[in-house]
Amino acid sequence: MTTPMLKVDDIHASYGAVRALHGISLEVNEGEVVALLGINGAGKSTTLKSITGVLRPTSGSVTFLGEDITSRSPEKIVKRGISLVPEGREIFGALTVEENLRLGAFASYHRDRYKADLKEMFELFPILEERFHQPGGLLSGGEQQMLAIARALMAHPKLLMLDEPSLGLSPAITDDVFALITSLRERGLTILLVEQNAERALEVVDKAYLLANGLVEVSGTADDIKKKVDIASVYLGGEDAEGGEVQL
Amino acid sequence: MSIIQRSLEWARKHSTAVQLIVPLILVGVLVQMFGSSLLVNVYTFFCVSLMMVLGVQVFMGNSGILSFLHVGFVGVGAYASGILSTPPAVKAMGVPNMFQTLVDLQIPVLPAILLGGIVAAIIAAVISYPMMRLSDAVGVITLFATLIVFHVIMTQWDNVTNGPRTFFGVPEYTTLTVALVGALLMIVLAYWFRESSMGLRVRASRDDRHAAAATGINVVRARYAAFVLSALMAGLAGGVWAHFITSFSPKAFYMSEMFVLLSMVVIGGAGSISGAVIGTTVVTIAREVLRQVEASINNAHVLSFEVFGLTELVMAILMVAVLIWRPQGIIGGQELKLSRFKFKKKEEVSNV
Repeated sequence: MTTPMLKVDDIHASYGAVRALHGISLEVNEGEVVALLGINGAGKSTTLKSITGVLRPTSGSVTFLGEDITSRSPEKIVKRGISLVPEGREIFGALTVEENLRLGAFASYHRDRYKADLKEMFELFPILEERFHQPGGLLSGGEQQMLAIARALMAHPKLLMLDEPSLGLSPAITDDVFALITSLRERGLTILLVEQNAERALEVVDKAYLLANGLVEVSGTADDIKKKVDIASVYLGGEDAEGGEVQL
Repeated sequence: MSIIQRSLEWARKHSTAVQLIVPLILVGVLVQMFGSSLLVNVYTFFCVSLMMVLGVQVFMGNSGILSFLHVGFVGVGAYASGILSTPPAVKAMGVPNMFQTLVDLQIPVLPAILLGGIVAAIIAAVISYPMMRLSDAVGVITLFATLIVFHVIMTQWDNVTNGPRTFFGVPEYTTLTVALVGALLMIVLAYWFRESSMGLRVRASRDDRHAAAATGINVVRARYAAFVLSALMAGLAGGVWAHFITSFSPKAFYMSEMFVLLSMVVIGGAGSISGAVIGTTVVTIAREVLRQVEASINNAHVLSFEVFGLTELVMAILMVAVLIWRPQGIIGGQELKLSRFKFKKKEEVSNV
């Protein structure tokens, strides 16, 4: 068996006195798309924060490509090849689209490659070429999400982490985001995805971890999870909600 | 054809800097050729102020952190350059307690100004190393407290600064040309930094410090670079100022001057270089006009009392008004840019 690209081993983390993670373990292999599912407060975002070094886990370890990166500073972790697209998009509103993209490229900046990368981003996201010189803050929500993903991709990540990429977007734009994830997956990019929209997420991932109260409750392949877990009951606290599509 | 096109291309790419520099040169030439000596003086002082304001802007505008301290770096540059270039005989007479080594020093003015800037930058590099780690509000208060420390040192260290008394006899050097060249240099420096990768990092940290860190930016290092560069610029401006004014005391680098400097930055818009230039212009004109008004009211003796502080009062009202209605300043965060349309038209004309 090959060693996983990212291995999170029994991490605990807390916000002040509030303990958020009680021992999360997960593995992401190269080329896989993996989802972290669960309701609000289950610890999904906290797990991502612990991986990127924004939050320091109180115990446990994070190994990336065979190297222990636990509690490294975020900028060092980005340079190792992990890019995070944070929840709520967090693009730099006062900077232009061009400047946002240039910032993303700093982690691995080469003048020649930068131009080629830009071209590639314009192919993936034609809207960014149109808006190239506009401040990021004037973009629509969906466009900002595209910009945030493009910015992360400019760093040539080995692992891309998306935190709630469909949050607050219209259904049509949400479709675009999932189509994008599928196409990035076909390019062989490894992705760790946090999503509330479990039904949609399970369509595009290889593997998923279902978190609850800071613990991994169920894990397995996407099909396994679909079979094992009634997704609706997870979100509605165990009461049967007559199947159906649940979108929170 | 290619030279015209290439220079147009270049001008379009750097249109912000070009459209600030060209009018400054034009006005400078006009004032030098046709202006009265008062006008020459006002324009020279404007250019010197612009140097200081751009120094402040490089840190404050890019990082978004209010800095009260920069007027202190202006003072460091002024004293350093003054001490280095004033003739020993003048210093021996004017500054009785000065260290003998300092009295004996004398170097030409231009290197003295440059060294003054470097001294300010070194001091900034030392004191800001811990300071840039502080969070925003705490950082602002610390910068303010440091200005008070600077002021105490300047007023008490009479072996160097002549204490609270006036330091005089600084050789006159700053003409309109010197000040203008200095101001243009500062614009180029501020523009270069703003567009540089380090400048971009600092501006990203202004928007959202944590998002910037998550993008792989070392926020502390980026802010540190901006701070040291801006202190260098403020120090250089201080030197140029010292050789214009030729005698000064620590009072010149304290609250009221800081207020003028900040009003120039805030009124124009701290976020951009264009804002710094416009703010300096507006405040300089307003101050000159108000000073004239104040003087003529007093000379006419229509009032039974002296009008005093009208300038400061109106400036304060102006600043409050800007903060209420245009908190980003007159220009706001984005640089002025000639529309691409206009440039395209010109290009077509040149092709014909």
